[in-house]
Amino acid sequence: MSTQPAQPSAKIAASKIWEENAVPRHRIQWCPGCGDFGVLNALKMALTKLELLPHEVFLIGGIGCSGQIRNYLNGNGFHGTHGGPMAYAVGVKMANPNQRVVALAGDGDTFAIGVENFVHACRRDPQVTLIVMDNGVYGLTTGQRSPTAGLGQDITEWSEEFPPPFSSLRLALASGATFVAQSFSGDPRHAADVYVAAMEHPGFAFVNDFSPCVTYNKFNTYEWFKSHVEHVPDSHDPADPRAAWELLADFDRRERLPLGVIYRGPRKRKTFKPVPIHTEELAKIDLEPMLKSFR
Amino acid sequence: MAKGSAVSSRQLKILVGGVQLRDGVGTVVDLVGRILTRAGLHVLANERNYASTIYGAHQFDPLVVAAEPPVSHGDNVSDILVALEYDANPDVPGQPNRDTIIRHGQYLADGGVLLYDSSTGTVPTDDFEARGVKVFPLPARQIALRELKREIVKNMVVSGALFRLLEFDMDQAYLTAYLEERFLRKGRELVDLNLTAARRGREAVEGVLKERGWEGAGIRLEPNPPKETMLWMTGTDALGMGAIQAGCRFYAGYPITPASPLLEFMDRYLQQYGGRSLQGQNERESIRAAIGASMAGARVMVASSGPGISLKVEEFGLAGTAEIPIVVVDSMRAGPSTGMPTKTEQADLRMILGAGHGDFPRIVLAPSTLEECYTMALEAFHLADKYQCPVFFLTDLTLAEVRKTVPERFFTDRTVTVQREGILSEEELRRDGFKRYKITDSGISPRSLPGTPGGIFKVSGTEHDEFGFVTTEPPRRKAMMEKRMRKLETYLREDAQGPQVYGEPAGVPLLLGWGSTKPVLLSARTALAAEGIEAAVVHITHLWPFPVDLIKPALERASALIVCEQNFTGQLADLIQEQCLLPTRRVLKYNGRVFYVSDIIHGVREILLKGAAAVRIGEPEQVEAVEAHEGD
Repeated sequence: MSTQPAQPSAKIAASKIWEENAVPRHRIQWCPGCGDFGVLNALKMALTKLELLPHEVFLIGGIGCSGQIRNYLNGNGFHGTHGGPMAYAVGVKMANPNQRVVALAGDGDTFAIGVENFVHACRRDPQVTLIVMDNGVYGLTTGQRSPTAGLGQDITEWSEEFPPPFSSLRLALASGATFVAQSFSGDPRHAADVYVAAMEHPGFAFVNDFSPCVTYNKFNTYEWFKSHVEHVPDSHDPADPRAAWELLADFDRRERLPLGVIYRGPRKRKTFKPVPIHTEELAKIDLEPMLKSFR
Repeated sequence: MAKGSAVSSRQLKILVGGVQLRDGVGTVVDLVGRILTRAGLHVLANERNYASTIYGAHQFDPLVVAAEPPVSHGDNVSDILVALEYDANPDVPGQPNRDTIIRHGQYLADGGVLLYDSSTGTVPTDDFEARGVKVFPLPARQIALRELKREIVKNMVVSGALFRLLEFDMDQAYLTAYLEERFLRKGRELVDLNLTAARRGREAVEGVLKERGWEGAGIRLEPNPPKETMLWMTGTDALGMGAIQAGCRFYAGYPITPASPLLEFMDRYLQQYGGRSLQGQNERESIRAAIGASMAGARVMVASSGPGISLKVEEFGLAGTAEIPIVVVDSMRAGPSTGMPTKTEQADLRMILGAGHGDFPRIVLAPSTLEECYTMALEAFHLADKYQCPVFFLTDLTLAEVRKTVPERFFTDRTVTVQREGILSEEELRRDGFKRYKITDSGISPRSLPGTPGGIFKVSGTEHDEFGFVTTEPPRRKAMMEKRMRKLETYLREDAQGPQVYGEPAGVPLLLGWGSTKPVLLSARTALAAEGIEAAVVHITHLWPFPVDLIKPALERASALIVCEQNFTGQLADLIQEQCLLPTRRVLKYNGRVFYVSDIIHGVREILLKGAAAVRIGEPEQVEAVEAHEGD
C-alpha cells in the first residue's frame, strides 16, 4: 500500500453542507485567483470525505487573508489575536479532546509572530490539524515580506532586513512534530488527500500549503510552483525520521519542493476525558484532598 | 496567654530570620505555625520577606501568635527575635553574617527575647541586655553537626529551643505527634533523631536560664485545644481551593513570582477534579490556551504578576470583544518593569482598569483577606460566566504569601453548587434559532458550546454582527459596541457590591483602602480611637465598574478621605476623585514593605493635624547592613 495519497486523486465531490452558515460565495473577499480558494475547496473535499458534520468542526483562523477562511466555511469558527491559533487550539483540545480542531493560518501568523506557539505545538502534540497558507508575504497589509519570503530566489547577498527564507518543514521536524506534510493549492485534489491524512493523524498534524498570493508575490506564482513542486515518491517511508530529513535535502539539491506526507510518527499519548463543564458534572465536589494538607 | 510577660500581653510577634535556603527560616516558621495552630492558638504570618535570588540573601518571616484571631500583623516590633545565621560573612569581614540582629534588633521590644545561633561564636549583645532583652545564644548548627551528626536537624534544635522559651509543649506531645505523622513511615529513628534535636535545643535554653538565674523568658503560650479543626494555609491555597470549588477546571500559568504557587497548587490538585493545569511556554500561550478552553466550555483561570499581565494584555480585549469568560488573577508585586519581584505593592490598579486598546467590558475584584480569596473566587467565576468577559482578580504578594490559622468550617460551610449560566441547550437552539451575539437588553447573549447541533457559532475579536460575521457597517458597529458595554450597567444593577464599612463614616475621617491592607487599617482605627481620633474604615473590594451609587454616599458624609495604598501615585485615590468628584488625601507606601499600624497613624496625624495632602511612608535607612544584590 502506498504511503502517499493516491495520485492522481479520485475526485471528491464537496458537500454543499459546508456552504451553509458561512459568508455567501459572492462575498468572499479574496482576490480573484487567490491560492486560498484552492485551500477552501480542498478543505471542503477533505471534510466531506471524512463524513464530518459542520457542528463537529472547530475552525481557528489566524490573522491575515488566510484566516478569513473560517467564515467561508460552515462549522464553528474562531478568530483571535495574531500568532495565537495554535495556543487557542491547545486549550480547546485540552478542555475537550473530542473537538475536531483545524487551525488555518498564514505564514506570517505562524512562523513570525506565532513561531513560539508553532514550535511548542509540535512538542505538545495536540490532535489538531494546522494548515498554513504559505505565500511568502503579508497579503492583508499589502505585501510585506514574511519568514518564507525569497523562496527560490537567486539572491547572493542577504541582510538583517532581508534574510533568507527558513524551512518550516525542518523547524517542525526539529521541534518534534509527529506529522509533517506539504501541499499546493494549485492541486486541490491532492491537497484534500493530504488534509484527510492530517486530520486522521492522532496528534499534531502540520501541513504547509503553498497558496500563491496573486497580488503581492509576483515571483512565487502558480506557474513558478508548478515548475518546482514534485510529489513525494511512493518509495519514501514517512515513518522514518531520517528519511524525512534526507528527502528534504534531496529535494533541496534538486531545487524542488516536495508535496505529500514527509513524516508521520504518532507518539504514544496519555488520554484524557473532557473536563467537567456542566452544572451536574461540577456538583458535590469533595474538598478533602486539598484540606488535608493544611491540617 | 502570656503570663507574667514583660512583652505584649495580647499578641506576640516572633521574627525568624536567616540566610535564604540555607538557614531554614521557612521550615521553622511552617513548623511553629502548624503546631501552634494545632494547639488552638491563632497564628498570622503576613510579612514574608524573601529575596528573588534563591540562595544566600537575608530572609525574614515574622509570625503573630495570639489566643484570638489577630486583626493584623500590627507593627514592625517583635517580641522574640530568632536569628539563624551562624557564620561570618567572608566578603565583609567587618560584618559578621548577623543580618537578622543587625536589621531587626532595633525593632526588638525592650524586655524581649533574642535567640541566636552561636555556633561560630557569640556576638556582643550588651545593648540588648541594657534594654532588658534576655539573650539566648544557641549553638544550634554545632549541636546538629557535631553531636547529632545530621546538620539537617538544626531547624529542630532551634524549634525545640523556641518552644522552651515559650514554655510550650513541655512534654513534646504536639511535636511528637507532628513528627510521627511526617516521618514515621520513613522509620522510627528519624522521629527520634528530630525529637532528640528538639530536646537538645530545650536543654541549651535551660542551661542559659540556669546560668543567668532567670526563671523563664517571661512568656508562656498556653495550648487551647480547639473545638474544631483548624487549618494552617496560605492565601494562594484559599484562592486555589475557591477556584476549584467554583468549577474552575482549566488553569494556565507561567512561572512568575508571586503567582507561581498558584500554578503549583493547580498542578497538584486540578487533575484530581478532572481538570487540566497547563504551564504555558510563555504568558501569552497561557491565556490563549485558557481562552480556547473557555470556548470549549470549561470555567478557566489564568494568573500572573505585573510583567506577565503586561504580556497578556492583547487577549483581554479579545475576551471582552469576542465575549469569552475568563478569570485573570494579577498577584501584584512591586513594579514597574521587573521591579522588586519578591516585594509587595498595589500599583497595578490603573493598568487593570485600562489594559487593552479600545473599550470593552471588564469586571475588577480585589479580595482583602485570605478568606475573601476563597469567597470572592466563587463570585469571580460566576460573574465571568454570566457576563462573558474578563473578570480580574487583584491580589498581591502579601495576600498570596500570607499564612494563617483558619477554621476548616469556614470552607466546608461555604461549598456552593455551581450553576452554569448562559449556555444554550440543543433544544433551545433548535427552538429559538441562534445568534451568537444577539442584541439583548442586558447586553448578555447566551452562547452555545462547540459540538452542539444547531449551535454553530462564529466568534471573533474583529467587530462583528449578531452572527459573528465581520462587519464595519456603522449602525451594526454601534449596536454591537453598545450591547457589549450594556453588560456593565446590568452588572451595576444586579451584582455590584458596595464597600465594606467599619464604623460610622458621618463626620469622621475615613481610612480608605483596597486589597491586602484592610487588616492594618482596622488595627489603625482601633489605635487611633485609643488616642481620641475617631475614624471609620471603608474598604473597596468591587473596583470596576466603579459602583458610584454604593460608594459615594458613605464618602460624602466623612470629614476627610484618607486613602491608604501601597503605590506611588495613589491609584485608588485618583479613581475615587474621578468617579465621585471628591477630594482625597493619601498615605502611600512603596518601599516593598507592608503597611504597619504606626505608618497609618503617622499618616493620619500628618494629614489631620498638619494638613498634609500626601504622606509618603519610609523605613529608616539600614546603614550597617551590606546591601544584598538580588536578581530578577
